[in-house]
Amino acid sequence: MKKKSFNLSGVMQSKITWAVVAELLILLVCFIIRPDFFSIKYQPATGMLYGSLIDILNRSAEITIIAMGMTLVIALGGTDLSVGSLVALSGALALKFLRWDVLVYNTPGDYTVKPFILVILVPLAVCTLMGMFNGFMISRIGMQPIIATLILMVCGRGIAQIVTNGKQFTTLYSPFRVIGQGSLFFLPMPIIITAVVVIGVSLFVRKTAFGTMVESVGINPSASRLSGIDSKKIIMIVFALTAFLSAISGLITASRVMSNDSNNFGINFEMDAILAVVIGGTNMSGGKFSLAGTVIGSIIIRTIVTFVYYFGIVSEATMAFKALIIIVVIVLQSEPVRKKMSKFGKKKVTGGVQHA
Amino acid sequence: MPERIPEQRQSFASRFLKPQYVMVYATVGIFILIYIYGAVRFGSIGFTTLRTFINMFKDNAYYGISAVGMTLVLITGGIDLSVASVACLTGMIVAYGTTVLGFHPAVCMLVALIVGVGLGVLQGAAIHYLNVPPFITTLAGNFLARGVCSLISRESISVSHPMIDALAGWKWYFKKYVDGEWVKIKPIAFINVNLFVFIVMIIIGTIILQKTKFGRNIYAIGGNEQSAKLMGLPVAKTKIMVYGFNGLCSVIAGFAYLLEVKSGWNLALNGGELEAITCAVIGGTLLTGGVGYMVGTLFGVLLKSVIPALITFNGNLLSWWGKIATGGLLALFIVIQRIVVTTSERNKSKKKEAT
Repeated sequence: MKKKSFNLSGVMQSKITWAVVAELLILLVCFIIRPDFFSIKYQPATGMLYGSLIDILNRSAEITIIAMGMTLVIALGGTDLSVGSLVALSGALALKFLRWDVLVYNTPGDYTVKPFILVILVPLAVCTLMGMFNGFMISRIGMQPIIATLILMVCGRGIAQIVTNGKQFTTLYSPFRVIGQGSLFFLPMPIIITAVVVIGVSLFVRKTAFGTMVESVGINPSASRLSGIDSKKIIMIVFALTAFLSAISGLITASRVMSNDSNNFGINFEMDAILAVVIGGTNMSGGKFSLAGTVIGSIIIRTIVTFVYYFGIVSEATMAFKALIIIVVIVLQSEPVRKKMSKFGKKKVTGGVQHA
Repeated sequence: MPERIPEQRQSFASRFLKPQYVMVYATVGIFILIYIYGAVRFGSIGFTTLRTFINMFKDNAYYGISAVGMTLVLITGGIDLSVASVACLTGMIVAYGTTVLGFHPAVCMLVALIVGVGLGVLQGAAIHYLNVPPFITTLAGNFLARGVCSLISRESISVSHPMIDALAGWKWYFKKYVDGEWVKIKPIAFINVNLFVFIVMIIIGTIILQKTKFGRNIYAIGGNEQSAKLMGLPVAKTKIMVYGFNGLCSVIAGFAYLLEVKSGWNLALNGGELEAITCAVIGGTLLTGGVGYMVGTLFGVLLKSVIPALITFNGNLLSWWGKIATGGLLALFIVIQRIVVTTSERNKSKKKEAT
């Protein structure tokens, strides 16, 4: 058996390491400015733990869930711009099916008019179909992913508005509240859902050959087709999965405010999800991907947003902070810089050998 | 005598039936079809008047101006997501500079121009020298410009300055010669600064693409960047100039928007970058690069504005049908593009087999 030795240059070159270091640095700055940033308290009223760290995890749930799918899409060498619209559509569909609740609100307890399972299943199914439409346009008709998903991005919100006839519904149905505001094991429900999604996707991708196939299609579609991988099917599954995850994210978003808003739900989610993936070290040109990196990327984004809110900086200025991160990441990830870095690393390694 | 190249022996008809022109014809054709439908359906309530037609241009003039620069970027095979934010930043700079700091709008305009073009050039340089995908680079530019807008002010700042008012109020009325004097035609139709600038930008864009070395370099890079480099074309310079020019277009578009709303707001034009891209794509510009015409973009803008016009004239339909119709059109055009590209590729490979 080969003995696994600790390889410093390998760790240094791993992109996840850098993402973790960046996250820790941001948290350190938070800690220095406000030592109570890390305090976590138990709130008996809601049965949940409460604190900035929990809040970061809780609020990053939507983006993390979408970014899981987006990682696979980017590993294929594509981009999915339609996720934000699908979030809005999912919320609209859920509230559409909960509308009876508004009607029968005067008679509480009469919750059996429509099965609650429909409220969950219909958005998931419809969004998955939309994702399959994306996948169909890309794999069968051969469009570029950016344009194919641009179609749904443009008209997805329109469809969402048609579903609810342009109205904004509110609901008080408590089982629906559980999705976004409930708790399990002292943790907010979105964190639990995110954990389930992350573990589920990771198992699906890494314990089957699916992840390797995605990487192979992303690196060279024709070569992988020749080696017997059904790339069209892979593309179809990946885009359907991303849409499915967007629907879950939409349910959480809708449940947090117990309402739907087709114009404002999921705004810029596509950009944030892509950003999370890129920060996590997956290259935009496709190929190898890292789901763990994406989770950290999403948490980094949310940490910055929380940081900005917590210290009373103008909330819209988060955009400028995000821009700074992207600039640092793209400079670090760019080829010329990486070549120089790897040269630097090699020198160090050879020096070490001579010394030994 | 040198041997004649086969391509030069094309007939008059085949010169106009090149596969890359098909998209432009499709755009123009569909626009005419929709316009005729509107004329037949709503002709009696004024759909065919010059005023309605001019308004179609005018309503989307700022997206049109931005689409001119976007077309160039798309032809090189890139994409620019920062245009709407830069336009918004222009509005903020002029509004803040004029109203809060008390500078002359021309000075603020100059500052905005430097910022916008500078950001474009920086993005171009990052894309070329650091080899970063345009999507990510300009996404950073988008966030940066939008963030700076919010740092300048979160409130909407209104602008009132004689120069801005004069520019916004300038109108050139269409007149006709009746009984020895010029009278305004009814219903009143006029050209304003935005429309005028839009038409000028379209003409400039056409000249750049069709008549200059710069334009040919753009097509060459979009066709195949590697061969353009091997041919000794100035790839770096051209790419940086294209993004710089797009920055210029965004600044002008931002100024046009400012004249329309007379205020700067940090969330203005949210998502406008995709509107500009949609205009260019509907107009037949391929996102893979190498193919695109200014005339197509012009009709893309028209086609995008004729749908809201129809919805307004109908009166019963709700505004979100506009989004769905635009999405549907986009889907239709992309499918047509795909068919055109695959057939032309098939023809090429057939020719190769024949030789």
